Amino acid sequence: MSKTLNRRDFIKTTTATTAGVATIASGITLTTFAANANENPVTKDKRWGMLIDTNKLTEANIDGMVSACQKEQGWGNEAHSTGDQKASWIKKLKVKDKATGKVTDLPLMCQHCEEPPCVDVCPTNASMKREDGIVLVDRHLCIGCRYCMMACPYDARSFVHEELTDQREHMPRGKGTVESCTLCVHKVDKGETPACVASVNSDAVIFGDLYDSTSNINKTLKKVQSAQIRADLNLNTGVRYSGI
Amino acid sequence: MVRLLVLFIGFALTGITSAYENPISGNSEAAQSTKQYHDSVSVIRKMHPEFLNHKRDKTLRQGVRTEENSLKGCVNCHANKDEKTNQYHSVNSQDQFCSTCHQKVSVSVDCFSCHRTTPGASYKGVK
Repeated sequence: MSKTLNRRDFIKTTTATTAGVATIASGITLTTFAANANENPVTKDKRWGMLIDTNKLTEANIDGMVSACQKEQGWGNEAHSTGDQKASWIKKLKVKDKATGKVTDLPLMCQHCEEPPCVDVCPTNASMKREDGIVLVDRHLCIGCRYCMMACPYDARSFVHEELTDQREHMPRGKGTVESCTLCVHKVDKGETPACVASVNSDAVIFGDLYDSTSNINKTLKKVQSAQIRADLNLNTGVRYSGI
Repeated sequence: MVRLLVLFIGFALTGITSAYENPISGNSEAAQSTKQYHDSVSVIRKMHPEFLNHKRDKTLRQGVRTEENSLKGCVNCHANKDEKTNQYHSVNSQDQFCSTCHQKVSVSVDCFSCHRTTPGASYKGVK
């Protein structure tokens, strides 16, 4: 068999090699792009959480957190809802020690449980927990049965009673579905902190990855005394409190 | 020669019909932009519910927030502006982008009972 390369064979081999290189090269490009956080699915390696120090937090701070949440997510101006019907993603709570009469103010929102009762009871899988621990309502699947609102020990969820317009572009909300704190998932996915945390502007509220031993929240939780609300339920909440 | 002529006339006619069927109208960004964001009109017309359904699960459940097949992207590009008031029309309102087809085929659009119908505050126009 002749080893000399004629013109036709040369073109064939060159084309094959070029195609091969192009395939590998496109693979490399794809991996490079996939390094961008928003293109990869979130993983169990992270667990988002929040530490709220009620001793450092003033009442005005908590009001600021509530209004920051309203502004960011666009709730709180439901014109036709009354009383309990109104949306309440985060609220200011007063806790009184019966013995001493000491009153503590604390902000209460979805506690982003590791074992969320709202997810257990949901008949359509709309109530769900992301791999990184953020508990959300998939309103595409929500039928508005409100079982999750009954199941939640923190009264963290609201039901939309009226038709809404002019929602925030990152936060669709609609009549007949349940909603609650999303831990500002749209911001967290971009590497930002939730609106309520940003509004406080001190170390009274810390947001971060509970698993990451270099994160501020992890270090602080190792150092200070902290508590979970209704820890007796063994839900292992992502939102922790110190000073209560 | 005759064959060529027939072919040429064929192409010309296709051009005319597709111009008539052009779904992009008004003064939306999509009408002004020369950039192609999806494969072809026929594909996106037939498949957009599947694309959007697939994307919504990835975004909500897995945190994948890319521009590809994002409903926000549809609205940003296809919402028309009212020339008098300089305000956006809702993309699903009468005779606007979504409704022109959906009315014709009698299929309701459920996206906008929750989703925003006009470009939001963060939208700064086509890049």
